[in-house]
Amino acid sequence: MGAGKVRIEVERSIQQSADEASRAIRSLLSQRRIYSLNLISSPGSGKTTMIEALLSRFEGKGGVAVVEGDIETDIDAERIRRCGVQVRQINTRSSCHIQPSQLLGVLREMDLSGTRLLIVENVGNLVCPAEVPLGEDARVVLLSVTEGDEKPLKYPLVFRTSDLLVITKTDLLPYVRFDVEKVRRAARAANPRVEIFETSAVSGAGLPALLDRIEALRAEKRFDP
Amino acid sequence: MHELGVANEVLSVVLAEAERHAAGKVTVVSLRVGVLRAIEPEHLSFLFAHLAHGTLADGARLEIEEEPVRLECDVCGVSEARSLPWECPRCKGSRITVKGGDSLEIASLEIDT
Repeated sequence: MGAGKVRIEVERSIQQSADEASRAIRSLLSQRRIYSLNLISSPGSGKTTMIEALLSRFEGKGGVAVVEGDIETDIDAERIRRCGVQVRQINTRSSCHIQPSQLLGVLREMDLSGTRLLIVENVGNLVCPAEVPLGEDARVVLLSVTEGDEKPLKYPLVFRTSDLLVITKTDLLPYVRFDVEKVRRAARAANPRVEIFETSAVSGAGLPALLDRIEALRAEKRFDP
Repeated sequence: MHELGVANEVLSVVLAEAERHAAGKVTVVSLRVGVLRAIEPEHLSFLFAHLAHGTLADGARLEIEEEPVRLECDVCGVSEARSLPWECPRCKGSRITVKGGDSLEIASLEIDT
């Protein structure tokens, strides 16, 4: 190196704040024995509708809390509020995904005594939410039958890192070209352990099975002290 | 596509270190980025260059070392992968332990004093 040039060893993590926030979220939820879901999908796949449909079937829904994420508005939080469940809205404004620090801030403000299940509805986006974990117990990706059946190939990260895949709006199958078996195969190729559900919020088909599975996952969860 | 937030964080840390060392200018930033972080190096470099404009790091070159995932397979030993594997890429065995691939660090800087 020439005169006046110095090399400085830094060895410093630059993801500290986001990693710390998601660890703090896990710790906060674990201490309270709350099981958490992170719902990820394109805009309009039916995340909010799925939450409404699950809540209407959920016994003891007083034990459910919801956090909604959108760029702007509290439209989704208002819908969930009408279901009689505690809900908060995060407006991410310039961010296309919920950031861990935002979720942590909201959770600290909520009364979570008696909460058993937290559902986080992420901003509609199949890309960035998959890249930014929120400390959730289970990640749920939704794909509606109107979105095309090649999406698991085009968006590998979200399908690879999701625990549950819910294929939504199945009542529309007679009207669209969507090969359910092709999606199932591609999703399993990306993630052999993914659990796949097919639902229609309009007809109710598939919702009891999904709800049962969520309840079972929550019951099986061993919370670290 | 969360590189914007990352670029911002890198720049903050770089400028803080540069100030600590009374640098006139930062010429190189060496990053270690794990493949599981879903960071596109070119995109990160582009955004960093844009954000660094007018700062001590204006014109600094971003060198990105990609850290792979390390796999330990019960059958055939240690190997590397560029994404999260479900089975050993060599023998298809399922008894594997996966480590690393998730770093996001500034390793070093080069400055002009």
